[in-house]
Amino acid sequence: MNRLADFFAKLGPEMAQRTYEHIYLTFVAMVIAIVIAVPLGIYLTRTRWPKLTTAALGGAGVIQTVPALALIAFIVIIFALIALPTIGTLPALVALVLYALLPILRNTHTGIRQVDPSVIEVATGMGMKPHQVLFQVELPLSLPVIMAGIRISTVWTIGIATLCGLIGAGGLGDLIIKGLRSIQMDYLLAGTVPAAVLALVFDWTLGGIEKWLTPRGVPTSSEG
Amino acid sequence: MITFENVSKAFAGGVEAVKNLSMEIADGETVVLLGTSGSGKTTTMKMVNRLIEPSSGRIFIDGRDIMEQDPIELRRKIGYAIQHIGLFPHMTVGENTAVVPGLLRWPQDKIAERVDQLLAMVGLDPEEFRDRLPVQLSGGQQQRVGVARSLAADPPIILMDEPFGALDPITREQLQNEFLDLESEIKKTVIFVTHDVFEAVKMADRIALMDAGRLQQLSTPSDLVANPANQFVDDFLGRHRFQLSLLTRTIESVLPELLPEGAEPGPAEVEPRLRARSSLIDALDMFKHTGRKSLPVYQRDRFLGNAQKERLLKVIAQILGETREPS
Repeated sequence: MNRLADFFAKLGPEMAQRTYEHIYLTFVAMVIAIVIAVPLGIYLTRTRWPKLTTAALGGAGVIQTVPALALIAFIVIIFALIALPTIGTLPALVALVLYALLPILRNTHTGIRQVDPSVIEVATGMGMKPHQVLFQVELPLSLPVIMAGIRISTVWTIGIATLCGLIGAGGLGDLIIKGLRSIQMDYLLAGTVPAAVLALVFDWTLGGIEKWLTPRGVPTSSEG
Repeated sequence: MITFENVSKAFAGGVEAVKNLSMEIADGETVVLLGTSGSGKTTTMKMVNRLIEPSSGRIFIDGRDIMEQDPIELRRKIGYAIQHIGLFPHMTVGENTAVVPGLLRWPQDKIAERVDQLLAMVGLDPEEFRDRLPVQLSGGQQQRVGVARSLAADPPIILMDEPFGALDPITREQLQNEFLDLESEIKKTVIFVTHDVFEAVKMADRIALMDAGRLQQLSTPSDLVANPANQFVDDFLGRHRFQLSLLTRTIESVLPELLPEGAEPGPAEVEPRLRARSSLIDALDMFKHTGRKSLPVYQRDRFLGNAQKERLLKVIAQILGETREPS
């Protein structure tokens, strides 16, 4: 028991600080990613240029294939070239947002596309305006798929955000890097365990939000 | 009145779905668009509420060109019911029924009242069904909600795209009968699409038979069966011709031939009775089920005479002789 008390006495305040930074990074990155990817995904279902859809989904897919570490490195170098800050929150957020886009974009697009066309046609035929079809029919029916994308993105972002410690953005990655450099298990655990717990808590919370938002009669993503 | 004036529709890729269609549909009339898939019947119907827009020609509703009207306004004045899934799965029965009144911004209490009225009208107890979801209903119940929803804002025109297509034969017949009863009370102009010639004969005031985008014949069911306008119509009716001619002929139309010779004192039986408007098929069925040799014919409460089974069979044999295909 003593060891545990010592552990928290030594690392507790720093853990709290780094966890807060981690939540902050994840939260801000996710909000930005959702604000970009959901409207873009909706737009892609309506565009008259199918090539644009292919290009956008392809582009987001390519970003995803770049290893997270390399993506962060690229952004730092690009930022250096255009004289933007290369350390701290800004480059970290850009990397996280880019990485989070694909699952949300893809799921929003497929979610809306999989709504039964006859349901959309009957909504139109009854005299709904395009935005009423979107908000009253298409979005409620595709919500579980969109939320599944957001949940996947969030869990990934929590993991990738640990790498942002490398460029001075703080977060739980700081503790992990410290542990690695000094070969100290304490630090490693102090960074890893809260990151894992965060991923679970975020996923669980989003699952709750999904259940709350999803209309009765539409299966949620966990119900399949 | 709905007027089609030289209406054609060519889709991208050059498929001509409808070719130079002209017809008039009177107020309160039920016109069934009949044809195989690809005949252009659904395209024709969807042009009325501008889900599909004509490539050339004009469509008027009560003298106003629909292309000069706001499509949203236009659609809210036209009821729309489609086959199968049609209902919004995420809305309750009540919410589904309330969609158009909601779009028209009726006050909440008026909507609630209307929903209950409509559900009762299509034979669903509002207390029991209002808060159910479509998945909690049988196919027949879902279709009733579909019909109720299309009637919600009391539109003068209703478009129905194979509304009973996905139902089993018994439920289907039940809903057809109920809709006929309902329609005779509320008197709407109905455009009804089907590929089922028996459904067409049953529901229609007039049938518009279409093939490959062209209107082949527009006439009453009995006229269609008795006087096919061309070879296509004749072939389309094909081997159903005999059955159809029994279906489209009422007892009334052959009554003198069914009555016994000499004066009759009164009805031979009190129950069951035949209705003058019933088809010869219905009459045949009733003789078969009751095992009687003679049944009284009534027009509402007026006794017309006792129809004889023997004589009915003779009439039917005669029709069979007339409609037998020349071999």
